[in-house]
Amino acid sequence: MSATSATAHAHVEHHELGFLRTYVFSTDHKMIGRQFLFLGLLMMILGGALALVVRWQLAWPETPVPGLGLILRETGGILEPSTYNMAFTMHATIMIFFVVMPILAGGFGNFLIPLMIGARDMAFPFLNMLSFWVAVVAGILMLAGFFVEGGHAAAGWTSYAPLAAVPEYTGVNWGQNLWCISLFILGVSSMMGSINYITTIINMRAPGMKLFRMPLVIWSLFITAVLLLLALPVLTSGVAMLLFDRWLGTSWFRPSGGGEPLLWQHLFWYFGHPEVYILILPAMGIGSEILPVFARKPIFGYHAMAFSMIAIAFLSWIVYGHHMFVSGMNPALGMAFTVTTMIIAVPSAIKTFNWLGTLWGGRIRLTVPMLNALAFVSMFVIGGLSGIFMASTPVDIYIQDTYYIVAHIHYVVFGGSIFGAFAGIYYWFPKMFGRMTSPVLGQLHFWPTFFFFNLTFFPMHILGVGGHMRRIYNPMQYEFLQPLQWWNVLITIGAIGLGIAQIPFVINFFWSLFAGRKAPVNPWNATTLEWTAPSPPPHLNWGPTLPTVYRGPYEYSAPESTDDFLPQTTPPVARAGARRH
Amino acid sequence: MLDWWLPENVSTYGKDIDRLFHLIYYITGATLVLVTVVLVAFLWVYRDRPGRRARYTHGSTPLEIVWTVVPALILVLLTMLSVPAWSKIKMTQPDTDFIVQVTAKQFNWQFTYPGPDGRFGTADDTTLLDEMHVPVNKVVRVLLRSQDVIHSFFVPQFRMKQDTVPGREIPQWFEATKPGKYELPCAELCGFGHSGMRAWIYVHTPEEYAAWAAATLTAKASTAGDEKKGEPEREEKTKR
Amino acid sequence: MTTALVEPPGVPRPVRGLHIPPPPRDGGDDDEDRGPAPQRPILDNVRLAMIFLISGEIMFFGGLISAFLVLRVSAAAWPPPLQPRLPIAVTGLNTLVLLASSGTMLAAGRALRRGDRAALVRRLLATAALGAVFLLVQGYEWTRLVSFGLTLSSGVYGATFYTLIGAHAAHVVGALVWLAAVLALAARGRFVDGAAGPLRACAMYWHFVVALWPILYVAVYLA
Ligand code: HEA
Ligand code: HEA
Ligand code: CUA
Ligand SMILES: [Cu+2]
Repeated sequence: MSATSATAHAHVEHHELGFLRTYVFSTDHKMIGRQFLFLGLLMMILGGALALVVRWQLAWPETPVPGLGLILRETGGILEPSTYNMAFTMHATIMIFFVVMPILAGGFGNFLIPLMIGARDMAFPFLNMLSFWVAVVAGILMLAGFFVEGGHAAAGWTSYAPLAAVPEYTGVNWGQNLWCISLFILGVSSMMGSINYITTIINMRAPGMKLFRMPLVIWSLFITAVLLLLALPVLTSGVAMLLFDRWLGTSWFRPSGGGEPLLWQHLFWYFGHPEVYILILPAMGIGSEILPVFARKPIFGYHAMAFSMIAIAFLSWIVYGHHMFVSGMNPALGMAFTVTTMIIAVPSAIKTFNWLGTLWGGRIRLTVPMLNALAFVSMFVIGGLSGIFMASTPVDIYIQDTYYIVAHIHYVVFGGSIFGAFAGIYYWFPKMFGRMTSPVLGQLHFWPTFFFFNLTFFPMHILGVGGHMRRIYNPMQYEFLQPLQWWNVLITIGAIGLGIAQIPFVINFFWSLFAGRKAPVNPWNATTLEWTAPSPPPHLNWGPTLPTVYRGPYEYSAPESTDDFLPQTTPPVARAGARRH
Repeated sequence: MLDWWLPENVSTYGKDIDRLFHLIYYITGATLVLVTVVLVAFLWVYRDRPGRRARYTHGSTPLEIVWTVVPALILVLLTMLSVPAWSKIKMTQPDTDFIVQVTAKQFNWQFTYPGPDGRFGTADDTTLLDEMHVPVNKVVRVLLRSQDVIHSFFVPQFRMKQDTVPGREIPQWFEATKPGKYELPCAELCGFGHSGMRAWIYVHTPEEYAAWAAATLTAKASTAGDEKKGEPEREEKTKR
Repeated sequence: MTTALVEPPGVPRPVRGLHIPPPPRDGGDDDEDRGPAPQRPILDNVRLAMIFLISGEIMFFGGLISAFLVLRVSAAAWPPPLQPRLPIAVTGLNTLVLLASSGTMLAAGRALRRGDRAALVRRLLATAALGAVFLLVQGYEWTRLVSFGLTLSSGVYGATFYTLIGAHAAHVVGALVWLAAVLALAARGRFVDGAAGPLRACAMYWHFVVALWPILYVAVYLA
C-alpha cells in the first residue's frame, strides 16, 4: 500500500501531529497498543462488575445487590433469572472478547512486535489504526445491547442454538442481534490486526533477526495471529448464520425448518477451542520473557518452547469436540477427541517444565513482574491439570456444565491470561509510558490478588465435584446443593476481595503514569531490542539506523561477558568475521 | 471427606467414573505438588544473593525428552483407561424392556411410560410431569427428546448426563443400585427458567415399584383405554 | 557492555523502505548461530498480506460451505419437494463469464508488466464489466427464484442457497468496488511506474473471488 508509506512520510516531515493524530487516530503502533490496553482495562471494570453481580446472587440469592437498585429500579436491585443469565453471558463475552483479547493480542501485540523485531512500525500502519477503531465500534455495539428492549444476550457466551437462534426462547431480541453483529465486526477487526502482525513478523525483522532469534513473546504473538486469522472467520460465519436465523427466518440451526442445532456447536467450538489458546499463548510468551530476565538465565530449551507453541496451535484445531462430549454428538467422535485432547497437554507440560528449568540455578529477583509471571505459571498449571479431568470422557460426563468447568475457566483465563497480562503491564510499563511503576503498590496489588484469586476460584472445584451446575440462578432451588451453599458465600467474599485488590493496581497505574520515576532506557537490564529504544520510544522507534541483531534473545549471565546480560545488538567479541569465507 | 465431595454414587457405571476421577485426582495432585514444591524450592534456593552468578545453560535435551515422554505416557495411559468406561456408558445399550420416553421442554421434564401394551404413542401411555419412577437394580433406558431448546438430563448420584437435542431422540441408560429419591436438574442453559428446571427420580424396590405401577400406570391405562388384558403382562415385566 | 544504538531520537530519515527492510549489513557472523539473516523478503508485504487475507476468507467460506454440506447430507430429499429448481444452465454460462474476467485480469497483469497503460486500463475495464455482468445475471436469477417462492425462510434449501450465494455476491461487490478504485487510479497513470502494490492486491483478491465460484457452483447447483 503506497498510501501507507505516504502516511509515514507525512509523519516524518511534520513532526508535530495534532492531538487527534497523536492520541486518537494515530497510526503509530505504540499508540495503538496503548489504546488497546486502555480499552481492555476499561472493559475489565464492567466485566468485573458483572462478575460481582453474578457472585452476589449466588451467595445471597434474590436479595438486592448493593448499588444495583439504581439501575434495576423495578426490582429494587434484585436480579431476575433473565437478568442473571444476561449478567454471566455478558461477563464472559466482555472478558474474553473485550478484555483479554484487546490487552494481550491487541495491546502487547501492537506495542511489542515492531519494537522487539526491530521494525519502525507495522507493515500497514493505517490498517492497524483501522483495526483498533473497528474494534471500538464493535465494543460500542456490544455495550448498546444493555440498553435495548428485552435486555442483552442471555444465552451464555456460547450462545447455543436454538436457544439463541429464536428470540422467543429467551425473550431477548435486539440484545442477541447486537451480540452477533458486534462479534461479526470484531472478526473483521481481528482479521486486519492479524494480517498485519503476520506480515510484519515475516517481512520486517531487523537485520540479523532470524526467526529463531525472535523473543518467545513474538513467537507467541505470531502463532496467536495465525490462530486469530484462521479461527475467527469461522465464528464470523457462524454468527452470520445465527443472525440470519433470528432475523431473516433462515433455518441453519432451527430444527423446525430442517436445521441442525449441533451444527452451531461444531462451528462455535471449532473457533472456540483455538480461541482459548489465543487467550493463553501471549501470556505464555510474556511469561517466557519475564522469567529469564529476573532469573538472569537464558530460557531453558528455547527451541522446544517455540515448537511446543506451534504444536499447541496445530493441535488446537482437532480437539474442539471435547466441549461436546455429552452434546449428542456421535460418541465414537468423543473417543477420538479424548485422544487429541490428552495429546495437547504434552506441549503444555514441556512449557511448564522448561519454565521450571529456567528458574533452576538462576539468580532470582522477586520483582512485581516476576511475581505475576510466577503466579501465571503456577495457576496455569492448576487450570491445565483440571483440564485433564475433563479430557477423560467418562469423568467429563459427570463434571461437564458444573462449577468444575467454571473453576477451570478461571484458573486458565484469570490465573493464566490475566496474571500474564499483569506481569506484562508491570514489565513493559516503563517502555510504554516512560515511567516506573511503584513496587510497593505493585506488591500490594499482587499478594491480595493472588490470595483472593485462589479463595474465589479454588472452592469452585469442590462445588463442581459436588455436582453444582453452572449457569444456575439460584442454587438453593436444589436440595442436594443446599449443604454446599456456604462455599458460595465464601467464594463471593473472595470475589469481592479480588475486586478490592485491584484498587492498588488502578492507583499504581495512574499515579505512575503521571508521577512515576522516569524510566531509564533499560531498567531491567534485559537483552531484547525494545530496551535499546528510548523510553517511551519515539515515533519510528529508533534513530536513523535500525538495530542489528547478533545473537539470541536470552543471553543472560553468559561467560563471554562480565556483565550478566548481552543485548541482542552486541556484536560478538573480537572473533567477528574471522571465520567468514 | 474421603469421597472428595463427590455425592454418593448409586448407579452401576458410576463407580467406573469415580475410579477414573480418583486416579486422575491422584496423578494431577502429585503433579501439582511436584511443580509447586520445585517452584518454591527454586525460588528459595536460587534467590538473588550478592556475588552469585546464574548458571549459563540453554537447556538439556535429555531432560527435555524425559519431561516430554513421561507426561505423554501418563496421558496415553489415562486415555486407554477412559475408553472402556466411555464405550460402556455411551456406546452400548444393554438390553432392557424398561423404556421411558423423556421429553424436555422449557422448563419441565415429561416422562412417558408406554403403559401395558409396551408401545409408545398409544392411548394407554401415561405421562408424568417432573417425576420419574424406576425400580432398583434394573437397566432403564430413557429416550431423550426436547420440544424446544437443548436441555440436559443430569442425575448427579447416577453420574449420568446427556443433552437433549430438539429434532433427535437420544437413547441413554442407567441402572440404579439404591432405592431413594434423587434430583434430576437440567444442566444445560435453556432460558430464564433453566435454574429450577428439575425433576425427581424415585428409585423403588421391586415391590414398591409394582405397587406404584399398578396404581399409576395401569390405573391410568384402564381409564384411558379398554385394553385391560395388558395388565398381567405388565406385572411380569416389572417383576423382571 | 550495553552497546550503543541508543541514538538520540532526532528526526529519522524518511523511510521509503518502510515495508522492505534494508539489506543486511555485514559483521557478527562467526558461526552458524550468529550469522546475519539476509532479510530480502521473498514476497512483498502487500502480496503476503493478501495471501493471509485470502486464507482467512477461505476459513470463512469453509465455515459456510461445511455447514451447508452438513445440512444437505442430513436432509431427506434434496432439493426438497415443491421447491423450485436452481437455474443450472444460466448459472453455468454465468460461471464462464466470471472465469473470463479472471482471464482479462491476467491480461491486465501482462499489460502492466509491459508498461502499457492504455491496455491496462482497457483490460481492467473489461474485467470489471464481466464482473458486473455476472452480478446482474445473478441478481436477475434471484428475483426469478424469489418469485417462484424460494426465499430465505423456506427451510434449509432457501436459507443455505441465499446465504452462500449471497455471501459470494457480497464479495464480488466488494472486489468490484476495489477494482473500480484501482481502475480510477490506473486511468490517472498510476501503477505503470512500478508501484503496483494495490493493483496486484486487487488482482489477487479478484482471482480468489473468481476461484471460489466454481466450488460454490458445484456444491450448491450441481451436487
Ligand atoms: C486460556 C484458556 C484455556 C486453556 C489454556 C485451556 C486448556 C485446556 N483445556 Fe480448557 N476450557 C477453557 C479455557 C481454556 N482451556 C474454557 C473457557 C472452557 C469452557 C468453555 C465453556 O463451556 O464456557 C474450557 C473447557 C474445557 C473442556 C470442556 C469441558 C466441558 O464443558 O465439559 C475441556 C475438556 O476436555 C477442556 C480441556 C482442556 C485441556 C486438556 C487443556 C490443556 O491445554 C491444559 C494443558 C496443561 C496442563 C496439563 C498443565 C501443565 C502440565 C504439566 C504440569 C505436565 C504434567 C501433566 C500431566 C501428566 C497430566 N477445557
Ligand atoms: C477472561 C475471562 C474471565 C475473567 C477475567 C473472569 C473473571 C471473573 N469471573 Fe468469570 N467467566 C468467564 C470468563 C472470565 N471470568 C467465562 C468464559 C464464563 C462462562 C460464562 C458462561 O457460562 O457463558 C465465566 C463465568 C463465571 C461464573 C459462572 C456463572 C454461572 O455459570 O452462573 C462466575 C461465578 O462466580 C464467574 C465469576 C468471575 C469472577 C468473580 C471474576 C473476577 O476475577 C473478576 C475480578 C475483576 C474485577 C472486579 C475488575 C477489576 C478491575 C480492573 C483490574 C480494572 C483496572 C482498570 C484500570 C487501570 C483503568 N465467572
Ligand atoms: Cu432445561 Cu436448563
Ligand atoms: Cu477446548
